[in-house]
Amino acid sequence: MMEGGWPYVWGAYAFACAALAVLTLAVTLRLAHWSKRARGERRP
Amino acid sequence: MLTALANPARFMSYSAWAAPLCLFAALGLFAIGLPWALFLSPADYQQGETVRIMYLHVPAAWWSLGIYVFMGAASVIGLVWRHALADVAARAAAPIGATYAGICLATGSLWGAPTWGTWWEWDGRLTSMLVLFIVYLGYIALWNAVEEEEKAARLAAILCLAGLINIPIVHFSVDWWSTLHQPASILRAEGPSIHPSMLGPLFIMAGAFFLLFAALTMMNMRAAIYRRRIEAARLRGANA
Repeated sequence: MMEGGWPYVWGAYAFACAALAVLTLAVTLRLAHWSKRARGERRP
Repeated sequence: MLTALANPARFMSYSAWAAPLCLFAALGLFAIGLPWALFLSPADYQQGETVRIMYLHVPAAWWSLGIYVFMGAASVIGLVWRHALADVAARAAAPIGATYAGICLATGSLWGAPTWGTWWEWDGRLTSMLVLFIVYLGYIALWNAVEEEEKAARLAAILCLAGLINIPIVHFSVDWWSTLHQPASILRAEGPSIHPSMLGPLFIMAGAFFLLFAALTMMNMRAAIYRRRIEAARLRGANA
């Protein structure tokens, strides 16, 4: 069995979690921005 | 039923609860899947601990292909039936597919370095996956480059459909060409070849990736519909 390997595993999980977190944050902020503007437009 | 659900007003109504539900379900599955994949699943008898990268790499690969097929189907519906939500859905899914393809490439590279002794190899599977990633980026760039939205939707749909040819190439590349990449070990006619103890965390992570895609696509679609409503109201105001 191959020994070690944990640094590669941690690197992969850190990269994937960071990418998914940034994606989720960007989509959430974009939705919040446009829904806020849409509410603002509806106000007289 | 699909036509009824794809009505923009009805979509806004059900996605208001479906998107957060999918997002929290995805977070729940990640909360189960990540510790299972990292600490509770067994090490591989050959690859040792590095096999744990599989629980990210494989779901990201599956869904980057699946999302592209979804975008292809939406593009056909948009081109042929001019459905109001089809182009919005295809555009909304693209950044998620691109991120998954990027995760697949990066984790594959981090897996290849210790097991193959190289970070990259220009073979059929890796190269076709890189092409898929570039097509995703091109699709997003095209939407942003063309100002007139209807024209952008048409051109992006044509690009998406042309890129569909790459999907079977990615999938069958390991059978068609000699490659460092292993052949299919889960989605194959004879059943999975990996140990059953590894299937649990793999399917949990695949479920989490899918639910995150569903949630983020719906959220992106909602943002696009809000934006279109604002622009339509402005146009009506300008014409009045």
